[in-house]
Amino acid sequence: MKATTDSFLVRALIGLVFLLVNIVSVYLLLRGHNLPGGGFIGGLMTGMSFILLGLVRGWEELQRELPVPPLRLASFGLLLAMITGTAPMLFGRQFLTQYQLHLDYVPLIGEVHIGTPLLFDVGVFLLVSCITVKLVIVLARSTSGLPAFTPGEVPYYASELEGPIEETANEEDRHAN
Amino acid sequence: MNNLLVLPFLLPVLTAVICCLFVGRPGVGRRVFIAISATVQCALAFYLAVRAFHEPPLVLLMGGWAPPLGVVLVVDGLAAIMLCLSTVVALACILFSYAEIPVWAEQPLRLPLMQLLVAGINLSFLTGDLFNLFVAFEIMLVASYALLTLEANDRHIKEAFPYLAVNMFGSALFLVAAGLAYSVFGTLNLADISRRAEAMQGDFGVMVVAVLLVVVFGIKAGVFPLYYWLPNSYPILPFSLGAFYSGMLTKVGIYVLLRTFGTVFPHNLTPLYTALAWLAGLTMVLAVLGAVSRNFIRGILSFHIVSQIGYMILAIGFFTPLAIAACIFYVIHHIIVKSSLFLIGGTAMFYNRTDNLARMGGLLKASPILATCFILQAFSLAGVPPLSGFWGKYAIILVGLQEHRYWLVVAALVASVLTLVSMLKIWMGAFWQKLPADGTADPEAPAAARTMTAIVCALTLISLAIGFGAEFFFGIAQTAATSLLDPAQYREAVFSLTGKGGQ
Repeated sequence: MKATTDSFLVRALIGLVFLLVNIVSVYLLLRGHNLPGGGFIGGLMTGMSFILLGLVRGWEELQRELPVPPLRLASFGLLLAMITGTAPMLFGRQFLTQYQLHLDYVPLIGEVHIGTPLLFDVGVFLLVSCITVKLVIVLARSTSGLPAFTPGEVPYYASELEGPIEETANEEDRHAN
Repeated sequence: MNNLLVLPFLLPVLTAVICCLFVGRPGVGRRVFIAISATVQCALAFYLAVRAFHEPPLVLLMGGWAPPLGVVLVVDGLAAIMLCLSTVVALACILFSYAEIPVWAEQPLRLPLMQLLVAGINLSFLTGDLFNLFVAFEIMLVASYALLTLEANDRHIKEAFPYLAVNMFGSALFLVAAGLAYSVFGTLNLADISRRAEAMQGDFGVMVVAVLLVVVFGIKAGVFPLYYWLPNSYPILPFSLGAFYSGMLTKVGIYVLLRTFGTVFPHNLTPLYTALAWLAGLTMVLAVLGAVSRNFIRGILSFHIVSQIGYMILAIGFFTPLAIAACIFYVIHHIIVKSSLFLIGGTAMFYNRTDNLARMGGLLKASPILATCFILQAFSLAGVPPLSGFWGKYAIILVGLQEHRYWLVVAALVASVLTLVSMLKIWMGAFWQKLPADGTADPEAPAAARTMTAIVCALTLISLAIGFGAEFFFGIAQTAATSLLDPAQYREAVFSLTGKGGQ
């Protein structure tokens, strides 16, 4: 599929916009523990930045350039969040117990306060951003006349018995009353 | 410290994640892994149940934060019973689905999503926090939306749309109700809400929150004006999933209604109880009429879910200790019977290649064991003594007579008779009559059908045990009801623990 816009300006700028949006989203992720922000909001912003990229460059190109399948990364994020929650149980503490590290002075940054909730938030960040990307790619592909999944993905999302949904539309329904 | 409490939620999630991350394709190994996981969950639920019945309610402070601030998980008698039921039914349905579909034809996402569904359901039984309950509902509903349409064709997706729309509306309303509860009570912890609601009895705000929550949970449970989403959407599911949906999803609504009325709100919301009782009467009669009108197995059984929900809501509407115990007993009986009837339908479909009653037949000869299981479960659903359904209905009707609610008792009896009629419709169509000329039948019973029949038999045996061991199970239900109706004990268990940020 061709890119949805041919404007030179938009295409030239999109890289910069993508970078800026992601800087903000990582900033939101990092400040999330004590201030408004966090993995969910950051993840949504990153997801949005990928939507912009897809709108400008075309969804097929975007999908080709993704280094990992989004759903795998999302599962990994969920696993990371779960492990962060479960690890304290091994030391006899409650599920989701958090450990903090407070450094009074780090060169260039200053006072730093990090803890295990950040890992949890990174998990949420991966989960939310990747699910958003996956959902939008599937929707955008089907609205622009492409099959929802690439041939390589089909075995992971569909059963052998299933055809594309349009072909079964006229099938006689067993339960027609 | 009871870290075990989080495992009924954690294990299914981990199973689903591991399946998605490492074993994307269905295979024998993955099936074995999920079956083992389901068995472990089941064992864990029974262990928790044994502990919950011998100790005060078990509480886990998540992250070690003290109750009104942090989220707590609580397992008391009722929650433990529900956990056992959900894990047992999940195990049966997973094993049934192995027999239903060969490995090569399995939808790769079906079992991971089913595990997420179990996780959401279990979390809603475990949680002691209103907002966490919302989260649990969302996990459950999102997984159920996906599963409902996963293997559906265009026409089926149209039927799934009301399910999606009504439940999304319910979720939005739940969020509003949770926000309102926070503004009225200043807390979302169920134990803390119960403490503050008791202090502000007669306050208008308490009533408003209660009414909103009843509407929300009524939608989830499928009570009369709001059950439209259920009977047409469940038949589009494959039988193994349909059995799990019909057994568990609406019963989460019942559990939450019991929890809010029994533990959270003060026991003096009489107008609400009366309204619920009358809605329940309408629910059971109208839905059973729907069941009589259908002519395929899944359709009849789906309408029956709604009709049976009526009995449980009726018991909640009477709101005496005996009625609550009867409701809990009814839930125990209903989940097992309803799931096994769906699975029997699935096995019958395996023989006849359809579940349209006009084209089925000859199953009595093809599989006498299946026919026996069906007739036992059908009579149990209708309430023929001494099967399990009888004891639940008997107790509910007894309470109705004690309370002089004669019209509601009449409604319950009429619904029972009509239940029997529609069950006999399945019996005549699928089992008794000869195979019609345009019907197809598998002459030799393949190994898969034997596995299915074995699972169905196991569930039927559990159901028979509930019927013949009614005294034991009613005792359990009464213990659970007593502790459910004792908010002081619940609060004591939650607030006796100290954690970070305590008051």
